[in-house]
Amino acid sequence: MRLRPPGWLLCLLLLPWPLWQAHGSGFDYGLEPRLVAPDTWLVEGRREAFSRDNGGHIVNVAFIVTDAGVLLFDTGPSRRFGEQLRTAIARVTDRPVVHVFNSHAHPDHFLGNQAFADASIWALPDTREQIARDGDGLAENLYGLVGDWMRGTEVRQPDRSLDQALFEFGGHRLRLLAFGGHTGADLALLDETTGVLLAGDLVFYQRALTTPQTPGLDVWRQDLERLAALDYRLLVPGHGPLDREGRAVPQTDTYLDWLDGLLSASAEAGLTMNEVMQTPLDPRFADIALGRYELQRSVSHLYPRYEQRALEPVQKASPAPE
Amino acid sequence: MEKCAKGLLLATLLMCATANAAATEDPLGSPMWDYLRTRFLGDDRYRFDDRVRVELPPFAEDPTQVPVTVDASALAQPVSRIILWADLNPIQHIATLHPLDDRVAPSLSLRIKVQQATAVRAAVLAADGVWYLGGRFIDAAGGGCTAPSLAVADPYWESHLGEMQARLFSPYQPQGPGRARFRIIHPMDTGLVDGIPEFYIEQARLEDANGTPLMRLELSPPVSENPMLSFDTRGVDALRLWLRDNNGNSFAARVNGEGG
Repeated sequence: MRLRPPGWLLCLLLLPWPLWQAHGSGFDYGLEPRLVAPDTWLVEGRREAFSRDNGGHIVNVAFIVTDAGVLLFDTGPSRRFGEQLRTAIARVTDRPVVHVFNSHAHPDHFLGNQAFADASIWALPDTREQIARDGDGLAENLYGLVGDWMRGTEVRQPDRSLDQALFEFGGHRLRLLAFGGHTGADLALLDETTGVLLAGDLVFYQRALTTPQTPGLDVWRQDLERLAALDYRLLVPGHGPLDREGRAVPQTDTYLDWLDGLLSASAEAGLTMNEVMQTPLDPRFADIALGRYELQRSVSHLYPRYEQRALEPVQKASPAPE
Repeated sequence: MEKCAKGLLLATLLMCATANAAATEDPLGSPMWDYLRTRFLGDDRYRFDDRVRVELPPFAEDPTQVPVTVDASALAQPVSRIILWADLNPIQHIATLHPLDDRVAPSLSLRIKVQQATAVRAAVLAADGVWYLGGRFIDAAGGGCTAPSLAVADPYWESHLGEMQARLFSPYQPQGPGRARFRIIHPMDTGLVDGIPEFYIEQARLEDANGTPLMRLELSPPVSENPMLSFDTRGVDALRLWLRDNNGNSFAARVNGEGG
């Protein structure tokens, strides 16, 4: 009788190499939770744009460990991220993740939900609507940007609506703050027990902010005014490093003010989109990552509104003969 | 050692050959170059020249509204035609400009749709009978030409078709040109979406206050919905823009300068 290699071995050999990589050392986000306040852990994202190199790990994710279990604020950009986050949380506590909050409907904040299907997943009602409407498109777009890191990722809808102002959990008194300046529905969470403010993407720090769904920079600035009035000790921005000195909110506000002024003045001077995209960056923001890149994106999102405001309705002239 | 010298010689020869070919070899390495050159330029003489400025962002944040500026002013000779196209769009032609008067620069800014990452080019026919080519590559996730116009989902345009906004801006820099900007409500449907026929502005003419034509334009469906056209002008205090779409609707608007 001839010896034949077992079928499973053949199958394994025929696996395409990216799959090998996925099951080997590849696609490791390297998530390292850091204790930043009592019971409060942060997994800090890179100050970069989405890429095949970072797999979408550009976002801050935080969690609060209590006797009643873990409360997680945002779940990251992919199923793999969510699964690795779950493992990372299990390294620091044996308590289960009980509550998950999605701060808003941008893909890097909710596409890790799949890994927490056994928890309650909460979001603002409008955020739930946005995820139901745009989630698949956003996921598809992220596949295009970061590639195979996204394998297996599907939209897992938040199943609970946040409409209360207070959320008591495991001895922590959490104030829920519903804003809208970044996407129309943006959640911030103030832990009154520890003084930690989880600001979501209403605050960017040392990383240029993004504007694709903002209802208006003025709306965003009003939100920041309310955030600035809160009593907090430490702020976790949606993107960028922790802020213990109260610098992140003013930086975000100064940047929005500059962007608004730039777009208005440019439209009033009759500049084209390309000319605005090439405007020199304000030296005040020299240390902020991705300044040029995000300016190009913001001009694309916002400049048409400013242009239209700067133009005047014209009288129809009588059509000339050809 | 001898091998090494031979290699060096070969490399040098190759470099020389490349340098000689540089002016006629597509710097953007696009697979469609030869086909589109024949289509748009025929057998005419041409060369690539950085003085033909084509500006666009490195990536298309919104593939239905990509800003493009073409400017042939730096050629410093009269220009009779400028053809603008995107190599990898299903409809490649974007616009053809016929500058007719010194008071308007051989340039145009507008927004276009891109279907995928592509080279965007301008070919400029100058007085010496040579086409001068500029271009740039843009990265894009895609879908700009086969996405339905926003107008399809919103009946706003039906009662506002052809409405225009405009303004003549004073020079941004002293000694610089003035600028005229026009925006017109029009769906600019490409005909590439199921059940939505092509419906777009195909002709335009910019005139001075007396009706003397300054520039004539032929437009194609890749021009974005609700077109925004910007012209650079000198010594003009009033302008008229006339447009006609492929359904025979014509539109015209007059705009006066900031003093007028």
